[in-house]
Amino acid sequence: MTDIDVWRAAAAATGPADRPAAEAGVRLAYRAAGLAEPERIVWADSPREAVRLLGADGPYGPAARGRGVREAVRSAPWAAERDRAQRRLGPQGWGRHWSATGGRLWENTERLAERVRTGLVEELTAGAAEPAAAERSLRLLLLDAVLGQHDAAWLCAFDTREGTPLHGLGVLARAAGWWWPYERVAVLCERPVELHRDEAGRLDRGDGPALAFPDGFSLYAWRGMPVPAGFLAGLDALTPQRIREEENAELRRVMLEFYGYDRYLRESEAAPVHRDETGVLWRIPMPDDEAVVMVEVVNSTPEPDGTSRTYWLRVPPGTRTAREGVAWTFGLGAEAYAPLRET
Amino acid sequence: MYRQGDVLIVPLDESAVPAHAADADQVARDGRGRMVLALGEVTGHAHAVVGPGRLVREPGPFGPMLLHLPDGGRVVHEEHAAIPLPKGWYRVVRQREYIPGAVRIVAD
Repeated sequence: MTDIDVWRAAAAATGPADRPAAEAGVRLAYRAAGLAEPERIVWADSPREAVRLLGADGPYGPAARGRGVREAVRSAPWAAERDRAQRRLGPQGWGRHWSATGGRLWENTERLAERVRTGLVEELTAGAAEPAAAERSLRLLLLDAVLGQHDAAWLCAFDTREGTPLHGLGVLARAAGWWWPYERVAVLCERPVELHRDEAGRLDRGDGPALAFPDGFSLYAWRGMPVPAGFLAGLDALTPQRIREEENAELRRVMLEFYGYDRYLRESEAAPVHRDETGVLWRIPMPDDEAVVMVEVVNSTPEPDGTSRTYWLRVPPGTRTAREGVAWTFGLGAEAYAPLRET
Repeated sequence: MYRQGDVLIVPLDESAVPAHAADADQVARDGRGRMVLALGEVTGHAHAVVGPGRLVREPGPFGPMLLHLPDGGRVVHEEHAAIPLPKGWYRVVRQREYIPGAVRIVAD
């Protein structure tokens, strides 16, 4: 595997952490930063458990853990490596290097990490006596985190081989999830047990959590759209009427996608608006919302069983012809879209 | 122009090729020596071009990308029929989908 494939796999890895390797990586990172190794390395089953351990009421609250050393352990060596690479490659060269390495993993890993942060804030501040204060202290704690496997994009852009300054961070990122470095204690997280994504890398699962950790901390999402935990359970019993009555446009969109545009089109007696050699244009009026306008496109390569897969793509509501719709999906005007060959 | 699933490959007149494209670093080839136009994160299926040439990424997370095939080439995919491409420059466009207030990339 090339390096980018190794890091792409590390970012999406699930299953038990390699604890001995991760702990060795932590000790190495402390030593490389000129610090004494942490007195204790503590494991948490998820970032949720980690922030509980580190919270003011937890066993490793501010008094017990000592000062945060994220700057010394991660940020400073990281910045030094980046400066070194930028000096060696020049600003343009660095830009090209980044776009060939970390830039390709950045969007998906950053999006995933941000979803974890949002999920933690939502769950842990719900029902708090002072939600704003609870969120503030939680966000401060999240600033102390090193993202382990979710630092894959940056680590992919650097040399992390044995003997290099970032080797310890690299070892840990390939062995475990997020971690919190403090003077006296390092709290390390297990990786998720479940991670389900669609082909574009977005969190996506219709029958359970799209991301789940061993202690049950989990996130639900459908094609990248966050949904409440109980929402998916009701999807099996959907009807076109229930979809039309859903007031939240975001959830209605998820319902529509789950139900299937084709099935909805059939059962809601939607009418095709236009048909040409590129496909069929459909329109479903939505109460108090913009209409759902879709092009139905047939995949030109037959499936192994000889059938052709039909798929639906939503296009802007002002679309008037199937050709205009298909052309829009490729950023073209109707007149410019003319494939010579399609498979 | 040629379409393979969610990727459109549009011939580009030599005069329309941005000046920087000829010297720009190419996108690294994958482990099998192919130029990858689009990669499925989960299946690992790729729209990829085999043969000599260069692939240059334009700004933006999903391209567009510019593809130069001095001798022509073939675009292949695990689930789509291969398409032969005549020699020349191309712009590679990923298919997108409308969602109210935003646009997202399609992945097949």
